[in-house]
Amino acid sequence: MTQAEIKLCSLLLQEHFGEIVEKIGTYLVRTGGQPLRVIVSDTGTSLDQVKKALCVLIQHNLGTYQIQKRGFVEYSVQCSRVLCILRYPRYIYTAKTLYGDTGELIVEELLLNGKMPMSAVVTKVADRLTETMEDGKTMDYTEVSSTFVRLADTHFVQRCPGVPDASGPSDSAAPPAPTLVIDEKDMYSVPRLNLIGKGKRRRSCDDDDNGEHKAKKQKQDLESQEPPPDDGIYWQVNRDRFHQHFRDQAIVSAVANRMDQTSSEIVRTMLRMSEVTTSSNAAYTQPLSSNEIFRSLPAGYNIGKQVLDQYLTLLADDPLEFIGKSGDSGGGMYVVNLHKALASLATATLESIVQERFGSRCARIFRLLLRKKHLEQKQVEDFAMIPAKEAKDMLYKMLSENFVSLQEIPKTPDHAPSRTFYLYTVNVLASTRMLLHRCYKSVANLIERRQYETRENKRLLEKSQRVEAILASMQATGAEEVQLQEIEEMITAPERQQLESLKHTVNKIDASENQVDETIFLLASYVDSTVVAAAKKP
Amino acid sequence: MAEVKVKPEVPDPLDVENRIIELCHQFPHGITDQVIQNEMPHTDAQQRAMAINRLLSMGQLDLLRSNAGLLYRVKDSQNTSKMKGSDNQEKLVYQIIEDAGNKGIWSRDIRYKSNLPLTEINKILKNLESKKLIKAVKSVAASKKKVYMLYNLQPDRSVTGGAWYSDQDFESEFVEVLNQQCFKFLQSKVELSMEDIETILNTLIYDGKVEMTIIAAKEGTVGSVDGQMKLYRAVNPIIQPTGLVRTPCGLCPVFDDCHEGGEISPSNCIYMTEWLEF
Repeated sequence: MTQAEIKLCSLLLQEHFGEIVEKIGTYLVRTGGQPLRVIVSDTGTSLDQVKKALCVLIQHNLGTYQIQKRGFVEYSVQCSRVLCILRYPRYIYTAKTLYGDTGELIVEELLLNGKMPMSAVVTKVADRLTETMEDGKTMDYTEVSSTFVRLADTHFVQRCPGVPDASGPSDSAAPPAPTLVIDEKDMYSVPRLNLIGKGKRRRSCDDDDNGEHKAKKQKQDLESQEPPPDDGIYWQVNRDRFHQHFRDQAIVSAVANRMDQTSSEIVRTMLRMSEVTTSSNAAYTQPLSSNEIFRSLPAGYNIGKQVLDQYLTLLADDPLEFIGKSGDSGGGMYVVNLHKALASLATATLESIVQERFGSRCARIFRLLLRKKHLEQKQVEDFAMIPAKEAKDMLYKMLSENFVSLQEIPKTPDHAPSRTFYLYTVNVLASTRMLLHRCYKSVANLIERRQYETRENKRLLEKSQRVEAILASMQATGAEEVQLQEIEEMITAPERQQLESLKHTVNKIDASENQVDETIFLLASYVDSTVVAAAKKP
Repeated sequence: MAEVKVKPEVPDPLDVENRIIELCHQFPHGITDQVIQNEMPHTDAQQRAMAINRLLSMGQLDLLRSNAGLLYRVKDSQNTSKMKGSDNQEKLVYQIIEDAGNKGIWSRDIRYKSNLPLTEINKILKNLESKKLIKAVKSVAASKKKVYMLYNLQPDRSVTGGAWYSDQDFESEFVEVLNQQCFKFLQSKVELSMEDIETILNTLIYDGKVEMTIIAAKEGTVGSVDGQMKLYRAVNPIIQPTGLVRTPCGLCPVFDDCHEGGEISPSNCIYMTEWLEF
């Protein structure tokens, strides 16, 4: 955990869950797994509060617990999980584009609550949707349920590990903490629920007679305290699946930029076919035959089989090497080179950063070094066609910022500088990690600035909130137009302008946090893929 | 009948020499010993050798080696007149410089090849330069180095840097202009193969605007080298400018000094203030 990551985690925890959770969470991120007593003593908070904070963390899938060998339980918080909080808006937006408003609200509810049973999700989402609909219309539970089932089928939501059925002998001592298990094949299976009903509106004045009857019936239901049919089966958002989706999106858009729309559609089809068959860490997708691809193309694309074959050959021969040919059966077997694609995207990100920071000539030198791996000062000047003085200046600037490094090759055993080759080179992995660190710090800076701006204008915000509350209550009791206007004028014009600019500022910073998160995603995926590749090597 | 003794004609040495020179003029590319023998069957090897040696020392013949053996060539009469005044050492140095062709040769290399001391070499070089037989050309590789070559030769590309240098100075403007032009040219055409501007195209590749593929081409098609042809194509970058550089922090020069509560902090960052007002 770098300092920047820990700082960012603490900022996120504080913003979303409050001071106490932030203290406990940051402590656990910094020190790793700790038993309960140690947490209480080290952080100086009461046992009660620590327990509640841990509950919150575990509920939101940020923290876990583990039974150690000696019999006590250790709690830990994973930094990467906390950093995913940054990505919540992107998850929600993706769900919206794929499954509409219903999907969006389902994912939002699950993210807000961490874990929820399906019935609760469906009820809440139906209520929220009904509020936004026109008067008299309500949202049916079945529609929400079907969207939920679709989300589960495509693995975007998954079941949480649950308590195993009590089947062991009763005389064995109860373990200090239950071990949660989940069967692989049950992870995405939706229980058969007979959810009948419609969403309800909050405001009772809109209800007609029928609604009142329903409301009475509702009260009776609550009083009977029937447990919902799917008690104990909780659902959570499957982050890895969303990450896979983002990665696929990045690859498809890269292909679209480099080639044309049709080839990107072909790549999208191939990735969609491999969604559930390929694990997220794999280096290649499963080989797909050209016949299969042809059958699975979306209906709108009427390209002939030969044209498809030509496109596939072109993609396989492209210097980008996103697609590779792995055999000839079935009309040609093709795979998507996932690790290579991630590496290309990370390299492109590096190049873009160098270009924006130092200029296009520096970017030329950077790309030259990426291609040729090791070059002397003189060779750099020759290949890049940049005058010697400028080239030297640029190389030293990049060297000081650690984008390039020097490799010494001595000619004589005494390493005399006049008799040593100095070669410039780019170490992609090291540069990626350095930039990732910078991204984390940037996001932390942005959050801090946003909080500062909000604090500065706190008085004004409170005032405007009070005015809004007064307005709402007066409208409810049926006030006159003149009175309402009087209240509105309590906020003067310059104050209104200040509020506008504050809103504009906060929105801009929010948007920019999401943009930096995109960069973080690309760089972090690349770093993770190299870790996996290194682990696989014997 | 009196025996007529046919006195073997002793060929006049001068005659032999003239004859050889005539032959050389007839075959300007050079003649072998065999040819001389055929033309003058009455001369024996010793006489031939003597004549050739005399011609060589007079500087009228050039001795060259070829696969067939030794070749004798008539020396350029202009040159012969020039060299009349020089002595052997100068001739040697001149020979070395001539051999270097249009790449030129450095004075230290002349010293190694001729085994003459440095002072002598310098004197000779000065002499030759004043007689306008050789000239010094500044090398573009090491600006302090001077290479010597024959006066009337065109310096090679590697010395002057070819088209990209004018008067030993790098023509960066020229390079930039050509860079842009080639890019525009390639954007409108789909496939193209070029040879002379390959270095410029390589810089476009390093700019990330162009990619190159090598395809197998038949020998004889325009632009093919060793059965391969290089094709260039203008391409777009594969991603848009990345998120980090759209924030002030990505481009900030004092990023490492920035902490909350310090002189430079996110709360009072002037770059952010400017950016937010945008």
